Amino acid sequence: MTKVSMRAPAVVAGAALLLVAAGDLARPAPRASSAAPAIEAGASGCGTGRPPLRLGPQALPMRNDGDTAADVTLIDPATGGVYAEAEGVGPGTTRTLRITLGPGAYAFHCVQDGPGDPVTGPVTRITGSGRGAAAIVPVSENDLYAPTRSYQAYVAAGLDRLVERTDALRSAVDDGDLDAARAAWTPAHLAYERLGAAYGTFGDFDGSIDGRTEGLPGGVHDPGFTGFHRVEYGLWHGESASSLARVTDRLARDVRALRSDFPNERIDPADLPLRAHEILENTLQFQLTGEADQGSGTTLRTSEANLEGTRELVDVLRPLLRPRYPGLAGVDAGMDRMAALLRGRSSVDRLSQADRERLNGTVGELLERLASIATICAPRRRSQGSGG
Amino acid sequence: MMTDRRSFLRGALAAGVAGAVAGPSAAGAASPARATEAATRPFHGEHQAGILERTRRRTVVVSFDATAAGRSELTELFRTLTDRARALTGGGAPGDTGIAAPPADSGVLGPDVPGAGLLVTVGVGASLFDDRYGLAGRRPPGLTQMPMFPNDALESAWCHGDLSLQLSADDDDTVVHALRDVARHTRGAMQVRWRMNGFSSPPRPSGTPRNLMGFKDGISNPDVADPRAMSRLVWAAPGTTGKGRNAPEPAWTAGGSYLVIRLIRMLVEFWDRVGLDEQEQMFGRSRDTGAPLDGNHELDEPRYAADPIGKVIPLTSHIRLSNPRTPQTADSRILRRGFNYDRGVDAVGDLDMGLIFTCYQQDVARQFETVQHRLKDEPLTDYIRPFGGGYFFALPGVRDSTDFFARALLS
Repeated sequence: MTKVSMRAPAVVAGAALLLVAAGDLARPAPRASSAAPAIEAGASGCGTGRPPLRLGPQALPMRNDGDTAADVTLIDPATGGVYAEAEGVGPGTTRTLRITLGPGAYAFHCVQDGPGDPVTGPVTRITGSGRGAAAIVPVSENDLYAPTRSYQAYVAAGLDRLVERTDALRSAVDDGDLDAARAAWTPAHLAYERLGAAYGTFGDFDGSIDGRTEGLPGGVHDPGFTGFHRVEYGLWHGESASSLARVTDRLARDVRALRSDFPNERIDPADLPLRAHEILENTLQFQLTGEADQGSGTTLRTSEANLEGTRELVDVLRPLLRPRYPGLAGVDAGMDRMAALLRGRSSVDRLSQADRERLNGTVGELLERLASIATICAPRRRSQGSGG
Repeated sequence: MMTDRRSFLRGALAAGVAGAVAGPSAAGAASPARATEAATRPFHGEHQAGILERTRRRTVVVSFDATAAGRSELTELFRTLTDRARALTGGGAPGDTGIAAPPADSGVLGPDVPGAGLLVTVGVGASLFDDRYGLAGRRPPGLTQMPMFPNDALESAWCHGDLSLQLSADDDDTVVHALRDVARHTRGAMQVRWRMNGFSSPPRPSGTPRNLMGFKDGISNPDVADPRAMSRLVWAAPGTTGKGRNAPEPAWTAGGSYLVIRLIRMLVEFWDRVGLDEQEQMFGRSRDTGAPLDGNHELDEPRYAADPIGKVIPLTSHIRLSNPRTPQTADSRILRRGFNYDRGVDAVGDLDMGLIFTCYQQDVARQFETVQHRLKDEPLTDYIRPFGGGYFFALPGVRDSTDFFARALLS
């Protein structure tokens, strides 16, 4: 995998946002307010205006007539649970919230950038029957610290194992024993692939340690092609030990540098929920297609290692997910199913079409489920009075 | 595990389902045009959409392999397919799930999904009736694996499948939106085996649309407005035995129809290097007008009796072989629903395009295969290359809001 950071966390922590707002940044001039009916989410009110909330699917135009951006959430006033949100509604603009509402109590909660206090609007009670979106008690950045620390410890332990195994690979190449080197390559590579979620903090190391040939004009012969896959290419394409020694040496050095650098790096807690599906997105894209293979025929073992990294992530997030995600058992079941399909497998080329389809379908479905972890656990501020 | 998995197929993205189901009345009221279009073909009915209806401008034909782990997951798959087909053809705002999940809908059709004119047709292939789902005893006797015909060059990656799905609409984005939606909701239970996008041309200048050989194609279809003809030629006939078979059609097939899909490449460069007379003799029709070579208008009936040795319309011409228009051959007529396809380029730089031939019938052996047998070695075979497709059974229609695709088959 080489994706250094697939995307930045979408949410800025409350404290940081306030600092920006209090600084010298020029505020955008408010746009002329539209006259169309809308629900106020600004200076003149929070949750007042039209249309009224009702049962079923609806589109709610949220208008910010203030002169700073506003974050608007539709909440359950009893628990502070969030049904829907619109972040950073610009001054003078209207943003539409789309949501399906079931019976229950609802209130808008507006947070205007700047020194003002957050406002919770009037409570609307909807009666009747029908299924609506669930209110989810926000996960704060604070809530993510403990899972992040656990994950960091997992990565640190994994890095020790990685260094050991990469050293063994280097020794085998230095000894000129290419059979031993081929045997040592896979465990070393898997030790790296198990780390999964930490890509955002590995920075350039990821490209040098585990890069593929994308973006390299010379492909496998490009001098910029380094790391595990470069070594793999050589080991499985008849390259001599003396020629490979330079490459394995560089790899072993990069891996050690990563380990010594890692304690100084901080995993952004907001990254953690995103990685829950991003690791396996890459697995689907590069491993289950066989694209990452440079001769060893081990992309399914890589997939297994990626799944382990994903499992670790889900486990550290589990305390946050348990009360918030009814589909969690389905995630576990999907991971078990994927693991069962991968057990004892190594190369996608050896799978029958039926087995391959089953694996692709299982991973695809698991990804749909994992994607919810990112939206549920994205760090959010809590409305006043909410528990948790 | 099972319970939860099922709750995903129908639950994890379910607000989308619920919302869209609740949506149509409101959306329809706001848009008279949409309401009219929807009224022409309600989702519920004895038969599925996409068989008798006017051919839409765009289509995708998809074959899937079922990956569901057992009978109950397979049933959930058909329920999910039904939910999605009902929601997508009804249109409306996809109900959103707030922060619990990414958006329920791809947004490709904007915030309010217009149902307008989307046709969904679901079929099952013979392979679904193997030992995986305990359905072996329920296979309609006439549903077999498509054989290799003498002029075929079938590629296995482009053939057969456990399920067929055809999505048709007048716009590409409607088709793409529906395909993404269906695939998203069914990933764990079925995987695409092959798919082909197609289009149907507008009349040039009038009448039946032309294929990519420049000829009007599908002129002499049976009359879809004639229910007696349809029940004789198109709809399955439970309780009766088909041609060359002893076992009767099972009761669950009522309202369904046999579907033959043939992916036929047209060697258009070669074809374009053939003189017009020769082209017309191969088809038996005028390229300009579509008229049979003994007539003036495309709808003119060819008079084969008056031309017994094929002086005007050669005995080997496509129209004469495929439909000799005799009392003996009347029951071999098929309902053709073809689309053109156009994709990529081959190893010698020739364009890869042709025909997605689909036809519906009551009995594949009595109809399609009989016609196919008559067409063996026709001169046109030099200019085409059938490389894929399969036999499917288009399921009976979904009767009401509690019914679902294949209910009668699975229960």
